Amino acid sequence: MGAAGALVRPMLAALCLAGCSAAPTVPRSSGRPVRVMSMNGCTDQLVLALLPRERIASVTTLARDPEYSLLAARARAIPTNRGLAEDVASVGPDLVVASSFTSPAQLAMLRRLGFPMLVVGDPGSPEAIRRAVRAVAAAVGERAEGEALVAGMDRDLAELARAPGPPLAVAAWGEEGLGAPAGSLADTVLTAAGAHNVGVGRGGRADSIEALLALSPSLLVTGDPRFRHPGRHDDLAFHPAIARRWRARTLVLPEATVICGTPFIGRVALAIRAQLRAAAARRG
Amino acid sequence: MSDLMLAAVTVRRGGRTVLADASVTFAAGRLTAVIGPNGAGKSTLLAVAAGLLSPDAGSVTLGGEPLATVNARALARRRAFLPQNPAIAWPISVERVVALGLTAHLPAFGDLPRRYGGAIDLALARHDLTSLRHRAATELSGGELARVMLARATVGDPELLLADEPTAGLDPRHALDAAAQLRARADAGCTVVVALHDLSLALRIADDVVALKGGRVMEAGAAANVDDALIAELYDVDARVTRDCAGVVVRFA
Amino acid sequence: MSARPPLLVAMLAGLLLVAAAASLLAGELWIRPSEVGAALFGHGETLAGMVVRELRLPRLVLAVLVGGILGLSGAVLQGLTRNPLAEPGLLGVSAGASLGAVLAIYYGLSSVLPIATPLAGLTGALLVTGVALLLARGGGTVTLILAGAAVTSIAGAGISLALNLAPNPYAAYEIMTWLLGSLADRSWDQVALAAPFILGGGALLLPTARALDALALGEAQARSLGIDLGRTRLLALFGTALGVGAATAVTGAVGFVGLVAPHVVRPLVSHRPAATLMPATLAGGLLVVLADLVTRLVHVGPELKLGVVTALVGAPFFLWLVLHLRRTAP
Repeated sequence: MGAAGALVRPMLAALCLAGCSAAPTVPRSSGRPVRVMSMNGCTDQLVLALLPRERIASVTTLARDPEYSLLAARARAIPTNRGLAEDVASVGPDLVVASSFTSPAQLAMLRRLGFPMLVVGDPGSPEAIRRAVRAVAAAVGERAEGEALVAGMDRDLAELARAPGPPLAVAAWGEEGLGAPAGSLADTVLTAAGAHNVGVGRGGRADSIEALLALSPSLLVTGDPRFRHPGRHDDLAFHPAIARRWRARTLVLPEATVICGTPFIGRVALAIRAQLRAAAARRG
Repeated sequence: MSDLMLAAVTVRRGGRTVLADASVTFAAGRLTAVIGPNGAGKSTLLAVAAGLLSPDAGSVTLGGEPLATVNARALARRRAFLPQNPAIAWPISVERVVALGLTAHLPAFGDLPRRYGGAIDLALARHDLTSLRHRAATELSGGELARVMLARATVGDPELLLADEPTAGLDPRHALDAAAQLRARADAGCTVVVALHDLSLALRIADDVVALKGGRVMEAGAAANVDDALIAELYDVDARVTRDCAGVVVRFA
Repeated sequence: MSARPPLLVAMLAGLLLVAAAASLLAGELWIRPSEVGAALFGHGETLAGMVVRELRLPRLVLAVLVGGILGLSGAVLQGLTRNPLAEPGLLGVSAGASLGAVLAIYYGLSSVLPIATPLAGLTGALLVTGVALLLARGGGTVTLILAGAAVTSIAGAGISLALNLAPNPYAAYEIMTWLLGSLADRSWDQVALAAPFILGGGALLLPTARALDALALGEAQARSLGIDLGRTRLLALFGTALGVGAATAVTGAVGFVGLVAPHVVRPLVSHRPAATLMPATLAGGLLVVLADLVTRLVHVGPELKLGVVTALVGAPFFLWLVLHLRRTAP
């Protein structure tokens, strides 16, 4: 049969995706699927943003977790999957949206099962986000909605470029020490909001409290305090020396806002800008 | 100096009766040899007499005072006990081992008062250990170890000394030395109780003899009264006890 | 009596002070000796001051306390069991304590009640020490060590399971901290939590000295010398559980310190068990302070765990000890 041959081009495209971001393959099926299944926490966000509930067959369990999902409320009524190929077989969707981070074995299995599939890379920059949103919008037949989301993001980013926040020195600090490395979404958001991310480009170990004390940022960027899990990492993340020093000088950047590349990062950066302005006002 | 008296002492272990209704008096200032075949209960008898094992029935009194009511440390000052096959866990010096015999004399805090130094020197000299005083105890030969243990037991000048097979594994010269030391202690007024397999040696040094078999006291009386019949009954072996001017000898058929 | 123990104690204390000073000066941020005084006693918010007072000093204090109690417990357990291979790490006590602490921390108990951490560690340690001491009387050395290895495996598996099931998705990555120990980022909070228990444990262990000396002659003779063996065992049991349990709850399982420290000092005190207690405490503290210093100075990849350094010293020593015992014992 030519099935093996027919699989080669999409497979090569998918393999290329593993390295680069967002040049997704286009599915072979109809232009308006009514049972869309998302297999990855980040593709969940895109699918939830673009489609009404009735057309989403399944999203992953992460979609309902407010710690990692911006659209957790929307996902509450939607059936969930564990991101496994077996789940696809039982749901029987007419479009599967997977991520390039899905294991190659799973992707291969899905192709073998013959489901129409879209593989999206994890977008790490506004340009990549635009491409991903447009690709998913095209695949699910909601181009207009996709353009609206992109336009919204661009509008927010333009506003930030026009009037960025005060250039306060900030550093992201969490369970593994310094976060928001150069090129990460967190770094993009902080920089877009106008802050000066001093945690970037520092050599040596990230988990050094002494290094943080030496850097001495004006504001410490932390995660959402609602989602604290007890563990040994608390010694690093919430060391008394740090907690005391930056008690009234924190900037909250919830994990859900930067763990996936979504068109909402513009809104997130605006919120950061507001926090920066408030902090500057307190100091000044 | 007081008599050590066991009255109707019974000890059971794991369903077996190890000692049955034993009534013995160890007279003050005399050396009593406890003899009997293997498994007769000699070690148990000594442990009970030393106050280290509580009998299931019966009582043990020292000078009329029940042993169970005597404070452990006070008793330790008056009584010395040497178990079978002693061993020393760490390579401490001989002098240190002997000094351990004075543990019960230690004050609540701090080391031994200086005056005990003399007692240690005396014990070392008496057992011919002065040249060995700094040797590691784990490097001693069998005879040397036996001497050290006796020195340890006698350094505190106890009024009661119980030794379980102190001559086990010793060559004739060292066995005789150990026996002589025990005799000397008895002569100095100590109540000595010794369990011995070597019958000739036992009869040589003992004033009294306690014969145990199968957990029961068969005979208890003066050593001079031990005869062929008793030994034969005790060990199920024909024996002849010969007493002459050279000493006492027990011969077996 | 010999005057050597006080001299040895003074020497070890001196070495400990030097190591402590180095520990305060060295690290990512090298502090000049001249700055240390101001850092320790000044009130200014200088970087050096913060680093020394909030980061290095509590870490140093904890290192001394943890190393000390491990060394002391090892010396007592070796004297009590008359077994040169006995120590809280090898007997599985540290692993049991780690398991208790993990259950308390990752399942929210300690967030509600911080003292639950050392208490849970204490409980875990108590259970394991009890079993170990029971086995030490019946079987021989091999049984004891094997039982310790078995307990350590079981506790390790338990820790792994507990961390995998914990609500926190990152908990599973912290298993290394629990199995190999770490002093990283400890603060005064942890010192305040663990110190009372550690000192209490030490207070229970030190009075066993006299009994340990007498035990050199065996249990029967020791009892005949007026030693209360039951009381001695209880003191050793609870002292170890209290001290090592709380220490492990705060740092994870640090191995081999309790084995090496008593052995190193024993020949220097003429092998007298009672005389090893104080020196072993100091030697243990010194060992952990130095090991912690190494973890902070070595910059290869992620943080080197404390237990790795103590194992690098302790495991070869353990091997040598086993071979040595085989040669000398029948």
